[in-house]
Amino acid sequence: MTKRTNAVIVGGGVSKFGVREAHILDLFQEAAKACSDDISTLKPTDIDGLIVCSTMAGRHSSALNTAPLVAHRLGLKPTSICIRIDTLCAGSNSGIIVAKGMIESGIAEVILVTGAEKVYMPQRWETNYTQLMVNDHDWDSAMGLGVPPPFFAMIAKMHMKRYGTTKEQMAHVAVANYNYGATNPKGHFYPRTLTMDEALSARLIADPFGLFDCCPLSDGASAVIIASEQRAKGLSDRPLVYIRGTGQHATHSMSAGWPGETLAEWPHLKKAAEVAYKNAQVSAKDIDVAQVHDCFTISEIIEVEELGFCKKGEGGDYIASGAVNIDGERPINTDGGLLSHGHPFGASGARQSLELCKQLQGRATNQVKDPKIALAHNLSGTCAQHTVVIYGTEPVE
Amino acid sequence: MADIQTARIVGTPALEGTYISEMDMWPLECREFNRNYQFYDNLREGRFTTTKCQKCGHIAFPPGVICPKCWSEELEWVDLPQRATVVAVTETQAGAPLGFPLPLIIAWLNFGKDSPIKHLLGRVINCAEGELKDGDEVKFVVFDVPAHPIDVKKETKVCDRVYYAFERVK
Repeated sequence: MTKRTNAVIVGGGVSKFGVREAHILDLFQEAAKACSDDISTLKPTDIDGLIVCSTMAGRHSSALNTAPLVAHRLGLKPTSICIRIDTLCAGSNSGIIVAKGMIESGIAEVILVTGAEKVYMPQRWETNYTQLMVNDHDWDSAMGLGVPPPFFAMIAKMHMKRYGTTKEQMAHVAVANYNYGATNPKGHFYPRTLTMDEALSARLIADPFGLFDCCPLSDGASAVIIASEQRAKGLSDRPLVYIRGTGQHATHSMSAGWPGETLAEWPHLKKAAEVAYKNAQVSAKDIDVAQVHDCFTISEIIEVEELGFCKKGEGGDYIASGAVNIDGERPINTDGGLLSHGHPFGASGARQSLELCKQLQGRATNQVKDPKIALAHNLSGTCAQHTVVIYGTEPVE
Repeated sequence: MADIQTARIVGTPALEGTYISEMDMWPLECREFNRNYQFYDNLREGRFTTTKCQKCGHIAFPPGVICPKCWSEELEWVDLPQRATVVAVTETQAGAPLGFPLPLIIAWLNFGKDSPIKHLLGRVINCAEGELKDGDEVKFVVFDVPAHPIDVKKETKVCDRVYYAFERVK
């Protein structure tokens, strides 16, 4: 189908992230409310499509066919699409990719993409147990794989061995993201700040990770409005933020078929980024501000390498140099990222994209000076899949 | 076979005898639920196997009912190497999923340049904390895991199960 219009992200909102005394449907309602607060003219009747993104809704909230439930609770009567998407940690950025296609083809005009998770259960063991089901159950989970820290700890050890990355460089990631997050009242760890000493002296979680190297699991929800250029102009007077290009790439299950020479190389991310850069008609050097998937400090280090922000192996130096700080060459995770803002899997992508929308509209809390191009990245399925979405203040020609 | 668990356990003990497949950390291995049941039958004979495509020669892991390279259904079972070298190791001392004893040790294993599968992540058992090092050799090992019931008409049939892991070659 030919492209009939450009898809734009209009605005959005998030619920408070954290250990929440709430049902998942409460969280979806909170995010929708925050979204309507952000786009003051938005009415439920403006929305013709609903894309709900959640991994754990079925298991943790006994809500397998989640999308019609969310439609009902939000007072929506979608006519173009009403579906749930599950790509684990990339859920709502996957939803944005689908929304872009539907809007550019003319099938839909205004889509609410919303993600939520209720992670914490009455007994804490159940959350880790559920994680046995997010990989290739019969092959990975039966090996005890599924809880992320041990796997990413192995990645960190390999990156340290091959490229000389240090615990101090990893601590720089945590310090940068916690200090961004200290300004974000919706974040899981708001208003906590972090010093290098605190990061380096934290209790050990999985060697070499201390507490602040690992993002939390969070309850929470996010919601954004993706609309056609024409409809967006009617919903908001803010500058338009275009979805310029996207890429999503999966290659393997967790235990078998890793695409890299070692766990420290992520060629599947490099590929997803190449596709997104090509579609967006930009290159790595054009990215002014980014949200990358900092589930662990080492993740952000490898991501800045594979996204092309620095040379392979130099991610630790790049971050320690201050490049990702607010006055650096490319600020990253300016709302606190997963490390501080928290990580309700299906909600994280839209949370990231909303922050980039605000950055490109010039209204972020930690505002970067005059950004034009922004990039969001998620890894999901214990690094089995990578998702990249690129935004800009101008559409692709 | 390694003698990890001698007592026969039926179902998920935490659920007091009620079996809920959704809560099961082990695969449904029996032929009623799995066309790759041969993999588990081979485990019982001490064989570590997978499917090879008879058309294009591709050896996939995990095994399947079509070849993921050419989508042929003409597959045969072949043996995989049973020894590997530890490239990296991680030990979980707390917070392992319910049912996995501590320390839970996982290693990234290299099966050598001649192996059809170069690397796998695998659990290493019968190993004390701190014992396993990079460069160590491990070998494939099979052990019994809890059985599960299935309804066959009005009867309940109990399916015994095995699984595999690796242990350090001393």
